Amino acid sequence: MVKYPSETRSLSRSFWLAAPAAVAAVALSATACGSSTGAAKSTASSASTSAGNGVNAVNVTLANDAGNDACSLDSAKVPAGPVTFTVTNSSAPGITEVELLKDQRIVGEKENLAPGLDPVSFTVTLDGGAYKIYCPGAGSEYLDLTVTGQAPTAPTGTVQTILSQGTRDYSAYVVDQVNQLNTTVKALGAAVQSGNVEAAKTAYAKARPFYERAESSVEGFVIPGFAVDDNAGNLDYLIDMRESTPVDDKVGWKGFHAIERDLWQGNAIAPATKALSTELVGNVGKLVGVVAPLQYKPEDLANGAADLIEEVQNTKINGEEEAFSHIDLVDFAGNVEGAQQAYASLRPGLQKIDANLVTQLDQQFQAVLTSLDGYRDAAALGDYRVYRPQVRAADAAKLTAVIQPLHESLSTVAQKVVSAT
Amino acid sequence: MNADGNTPVEPGTSGEAAPHAASSGVSRRGVLSGALWAGLGGAALGAAAGGAGMAMASSPKVDDVVDLHGSYPFYGQGHQGGVDTPPQRHSVFMTFRFADSATRSSVQTLLARWSAAAAVLQHGTPVGSVQPGVEVQPPGDTGEAFGLSPASLTVTIGLGPAVFGERFGLASHKPALFSPLPPLNGDTLDPKFTGGDLSVQACADDPQVCYHAVRNLARLGRSIVAPSWAVLGFGRASAGPGQQTPRNLLGFKDGTRNIATSDEYSRYVWISGSDQPWMNGGTYQVVRKIRTLLETWDTDRVGNQQQIIGRHKQEGSPLTGSAELDTPDFAARDGAGDPVIDPLSHVALAARENNDGIMIRRRSYNYTDGLDADGQLNAGLLFISYQNDPQHFIRIQNRLGAHDLLNEYIRHIGSAIFAIPPAPEEGHYIAQSLFT
Repeated sequence: MVKYPSETRSLSRSFWLAAPAAVAAVALSATACGSSTGAAKSTASSASTSAGNGVNAVNVTLANDAGNDACSLDSAKVPAGPVTFTVTNSSAPGITEVELLKDQRIVGEKENLAPGLDPVSFTVTLDGGAYKIYCPGAGSEYLDLTVTGQAPTAPTGTVQTILSQGTRDYSAYVVDQVNQLNTTVKALGAAVQSGNVEAAKTAYAKARPFYERAESSVEGFVIPGFAVDDNAGNLDYLIDMRESTPVDDKVGWKGFHAIERDLWQGNAIAPATKALSTELVGNVGKLVGVVAPLQYKPEDLANGAADLIEEVQNTKINGEEEAFSHIDLVDFAGNVEGAQQAYASLRPGLQKIDANLVTQLDQQFQAVLTSLDGYRDAAALGDYRVYRPQVRAADAAKLTAVIQPLHESLSTVAQKVVSAT
Repeated sequence: MNADGNTPVEPGTSGEAAPHAASSGVSRRGVLSGALWAGLGGAALGAAAGGAGMAMASSPKVDDVVDLHGSYPFYGQGHQGGVDTPPQRHSVFMTFRFADSATRSSVQTLLARWSAAAAVLQHGTPVGSVQPGVEVQPPGDTGEAFGLSPASLTVTIGLGPAVFGERFGLASHKPALFSPLPPLNGDTLDPKFTGGDLSVQACADDPQVCYHAVRNLARLGRSIVAPSWAVLGFGRASAGPGQQTPRNLLGFKDGTRNIATSDEYSRYVWISGSDQPWMNGGTYQVVRKIRTLLETWDTDRVGNQQQIIGRHKQEGSPLTGSAELDTPDFAARDGAGDPVIDPLSHVALAARENNDGIMIRRRSYNYTDGLDADGQLNAGLLFISYQNDPQHFIRIQNRLGAHDLLNEYIRHIGSAIFAIPPAPEEGHYIAQSLFT
C-alpha cells in the first residue's frame, strides 16, 4: 500500500493543510495543534504577541451565558491574508475545542480550552471564501466566517494531479498526527514514571486520539528490516494491540492497552507498567521515523478512510478498543477525524468525478459528527462521556445507524478514484 | 397465540398460489440442491422419492416435500408473495427505521430498489456482481447465496405507520383502518422488538436464501433506513393446503383451521374497496414476537397442556373429537356437566365460532434466540398474521390476552403492524401509486 521514497518530509499540520495553495500558514505557536497537558497554559502564545505585524485578527470567545455555552466571533469578516485567531475561554466549561474549517478540512484548531486558561492563538494565511468556525458543544456550533478578497484559484490540472496533491496533503497529516502522538506519549511516559495514576490516566486519554487518527495506514507501520509477519517489528502491534487481538506469545502484550489495563484494572503503576511505558515511548519514536517517508496513492486514502470507519464499527461501538478505561468514544472521534481528513484530501478531485457522492459523504460525515456531539463532556477524560456498558446498551444501535451509511459510501470511493487515474 | 378459527383444509379448494416449478416429489429428508441433483442423478432421485435406501420411519406424505428449484415471480401477481404462498420452511423477518435524513424521494428510491432486488432474488440470482472486475470495488452482492437454488423465496415488503406521518407528505394517503396497534391485553412488550417503519419478510425453503435476501435489502437501504429488530424463523408453524399441519415449540399442531380457500382470502385477507385505492389487493401484517417459557411448559402434565390448548397433543384433534380436522364442539359437556373444551382454552377463545366468524391468516414460524441471561431456552413463536382489517386481530388478541390459559407460559414481547401493498407490475415498484 505504501512506498518508501528517498526523500523524507517533515511538514507541520498547518502546512499540509496549506499545501494546495488555498491556505498557507505563516506562523504557528508551539502549541498550535498540540494538546499538551498542563503546558497549554504556560506555552500558549498570547493574542498580543501573535496578532501584531499588521496581521489581521479574529477573536473567538467561549462563554457561558445564562447556563448555555456559547461561541462568538468579534468579526464575521476578515480580509484575505495572514489571520491570527485568538481563542479565549472565559467561562464555557462545555467547549474544549475550536476548529477553523474549509470544505470539511481542518485549517487550524485549538484543543484543551478550559475556562480561565490564558488565551491561545494560531495564525494561518487564508484566501477569500466561506469558512466556518466549529465550536463543538456550543449552542450554535458552526459560525460563518467570510474571508474577503482573492478567492483561491480552483484546483487546476487533471483530476489525477488534483488527487495526487491530496495524497501529499494526507501524508503530511499523518506525519503531523504522529509527531503529536510522540509529544503526548512522552507526557504519558513521564506521568507513568512519576507513579501518579491519575495523571497517567489523563495523559493516556490525551495521547490516544492521535494514534486513532493516523491508524489508517498501519500497513506501513513496520520497522525497516523486519518481515511483515514479525510482530516484533510491527509497530501497530507493539503500540495498539488489544487483549482481544491474538497475543503473540513470542512478543507479548505491549503498548497502550497493556498500560490501560494496569491503570484502570489494577489502578496502580507497577515496575512492569513503567517498563511498558518506556517501551511505548521508544516505539512511537520509531513510528515518527517510519511514517515520514510513507507515500500514498489516492485509493489508499479512500481505503484508509473506509478502514477507519470500519474500526469505529468493529472496535469502538462494541466497546472493545478501550476495554478498561471505556474511553471508546474518544477513539471513535479520532477515527472519524482521521477518515474525514483522508476524505477531505480526496474531496477536490472527487468533486470532479462524482459531485453527488461528495454531497452524500458530506452529509453522512455531518450526521456522525452531530451524533458524536451528543456525547461531549468537558469533564470527562478525552472530552467524551465514558462509554460504559449501559451507555453502549442504550446507544450502540443508534451509533451504528449513522456509521453504516458513511461506511457504505466510503467503500465506493476507491473505485472512483482508481478509475480516474 | 393464534386464532384457531378457520375451517379445515379441503384439498382442491385452495386459494393459495402454487410454486412456479412443479414439485419433483423430493422428500423432506431428501432435500437436494441444484448442484447435488446434477451430481447424484437419477439414483438419488429415485431413492428419495420412494424412500427406499433412506432410514425413514415411514413413507413421507406426498405433501411433505421440498423442491429447492421452485421459484415465484415477483411482478404482476396481484398480491405480494409470502401471504397466501404455501409456507416455506424458513423465514427471516426484519424491521427498519427511517434515518433522520430520509426524504420522500429517497423512500421512493428505496422501494424501487427493493422491488427490483426482490424480483432478482426470487429468481435465484444475485443483486449485483459477487466478484466485480475492479479489485478496489466492494462486491455488489454479498455472495452467500451464489449457486443456491431459489428455494421458493418470497420477499414481502411492508409499510409502517410512520410512512404516513407528515414527514413525507403522505398523511392523506393513510388507509382509515391502518394505525399503530393500541396496547393490547397481555402485552409485555420490549421496546427492542417493537414497531418499525418498514418491514421485510423473506421466506424460503433454505435459511441461507432467506438470510441473504434480507441482508442485501438492508445493505441497499443503508443510507435511508437502519435495521431495527429481526427474527430468524424456522419450522413453519402454519400449514397450507395439502401440507401437513406443523407443530409449534409447544409441541402442538398449529394452524389446523387456517384460512385456506379463495373465498376466505377474499373475505378476510385481501383488501378491496379501500378508502385508499392504492391498497386494494394488499393486506395488513401483524407481527408478534411471543416468547414461550419452554422449560416450565415441558414439565406440565399433558392433561393440563391439552386443557390449555383445547386439543389432543399427538393427533391434534379437538378434545371433543378424534381426528385433527374434526370440528370442535364448544357446547359439549362431560359427565359432570363441565365443558369438554375449556372456555378459556386457546382454541375456544380464538375460534371463529366464538368471534362472530372472524378469521385471520396465520403464517407463523418458530424462533430461538439461544439462551437468555438466566440460563433458560430463549425461544418462542414469531406470530405473523394477515388480515384486511387490523381490528380482527385486535379483537382476538384482546380476548386471548385477558383470558387464555396459555398466558401462564407465553409472553408477547414484540409487536408491530405494517400495510402490505399489492404486488407491482413489471416496470413498477411496491407502493408506487402511493406517491402519485
